[in-house]
Amino acid sequence: MAADPTTTSLLELTGVTAGYGAGLILKGVDLSVARGQIVCLIGPNGAGKSTVLKTVSGLLRNAGGTVVFDGEDIGKLSSRDRLQRGIVHVPQDRSLFPTMTVWENVVMGAFILSDQALIRRRVEEVAEIFPIVAKRRTAAAGSLSGGEQKQVELARSLMLDPALILLDEPSIGLDPKSRTSVFASISTLASDGRTVLLVEQNARSGLAVAHKAAVLETGRVALTGTGQSLLDDPEVARLYLGASAQGRAESLAKSV
Amino acid sequence: MHAFIQAVILGILTGGVYALMASGQTLIFGIMKVVNLAQGALVVLGAYLTYTLFTQLGIDPFLSILITTPLLFLVGVAVQWALLRPLHGDDVAQLSLLVTFAIALGIEGVLSFAYSATLTNVQPSYANFSWTVLGYQVSLVRFVAFVLSLVMLGALYFILQRTKFGRSVRATVQNPMSAQLLGVNANRVSALGFGLGAATAAAAGSVFGMLNSFNPGSHYDLISRLLTIVVLGGLGSIGGSVVAALVMGVASSVVSALASPIWSDFTFFIVLLLVLLIRPRGLFGARTRGAL
Repeated sequence: MAADPTTTSLLELTGVTAGYGAGLILKGVDLSVARGQIVCLIGPNGAGKSTVLKTVSGLLRNAGGTVVFDGEDIGKLSSRDRLQRGIVHVPQDRSLFPTMTVWENVVMGAFILSDQALIRRRVEEVAEIFPIVAKRRTAAAGSLSGGEQKQVELARSLMLDPALILLDEPSIGLDPKSRTSVFASISTLASDGRTVLLVEQNARSGLAVAHKAAVLETGRVALTGTGQSLLDDPEVARLYLGASAQGRAESLAKSV
Repeated sequence: MHAFIQAVILGILTGGVYALMASGQTLIFGIMKVVNLAQGALVVLGAYLTYTLFTQLGIDPFLSILITTPLLFLVGVAVQWALLRPLHGDDVAQLSLLVTFAIALGIEGVLSFAYSATLTNVQPSYANFSWTVLGYQVSLVRFVAFVLSLVMLGALYFILQRTKFGRSVRATVQNPMSAQLLGVNANRVSALGFGLGAATAAAAGSVFGMLNSFNPGSHYDLISRLLTIVVLGGLGSIGGSVVAALVMGVASSVVSALASPIWSDFTFFIVLLLVLLIRPRGLFGARTRGAL
């Protein structure tokens, strides 16, 4: 009997260690991401959330453990090879090319493709999901607002029709209205059957859209559960969801 | 007034050739953040190749561009691959300065060995031909060199704006990490970019050899002019370097004609100083990445 595609694991991290130079940031991360789900990673600054995404996309190689994507150990593959397998990474910092037009930026999302007809079709499809692509087609990307730029980044991430989208802090620096819009877009991606691994400092919004979530602390997964169960967890609420000053201080004391 | 306008015409025609040299220099800086101190030496190498093709094989200096440009493109790719690509770490910028200076000295050494240090130039039969237009002298060689430089700059612009490789270059210049995440191979872009920079030096070198006397040590003077132009235009901005080259060409030519040729070289640095005092980023320097 075929496995239920919504419960089989697309990405499996087992005992992953990674870092820069001699220092390890990830100290044994175990994480499973099921197909078609949004998985949200939350945790304090420096816990290694962005490093997890870099280890999956290939910007950083894992020093130990395994990164298995769709049944294949991808730990030794280049970031381009991983891109070809359907893993796209939208980094935390603004990642558009500011002097290129919106259209050019979106087309760059299909840089590894050579079929021009396919690229044109994809841009049209993406423009239907993200109307700003057509609306601001000829505008220089650097002239867009932060929220608009994030929409274009999300649009660009769809150009390869990816199986897994890695989103690093998509709401950072955005005004409340743009934040709402970005999270609505993320929900749309998942409803279209895509898998999203999301790192979010704005934990409440991240957990609200996530099917599953994990709390990362000092390079290890400390807690996992559904997005709702973590939202309801008083300890998580105290530490990450608008925690009191005392709560933060206790958390800090624990981690030292 | 006549002398002034004649000097402006001469300055614009000369500035066009400097623009071609400087566009390669600023392209390399834009992609790799490498200040290529070998650009002047590559121009001189291009001039000597043209000289050899002309004197030994009788190939017209302008036509020789079809040979020297692809040849130095390959040299540029090889140099980047063998000498610059292996550099890693936080001090890449400083190391690359030393490496490109070493390349310049290496080229100077080889040329001194092969051609001696005597000044020479490329003198085709039409070298001294000129037209009189509205009472002003326009040298054939300078005019064709200027037009050729515009054509080469147009080709460079087309490559950067309209081709997939050009988009990958602009993407790498503006956001290297983002470009890598989209599948752009930064090493390939750097190698081809350095090759393109060297190719512009080759094309400029062919006409430089007709306009000036040169010897293997001519690159010191050239690189100081090129760095001045590139800084004035705004590091990494090709359009800026073209405008700066024209400004410098005209300023230098006017000073030479109206004051004395002795002050001509000095003009470059005076203009640079004045512009940087008013606008520290150069004429077209961007606040952020992405000036190409």
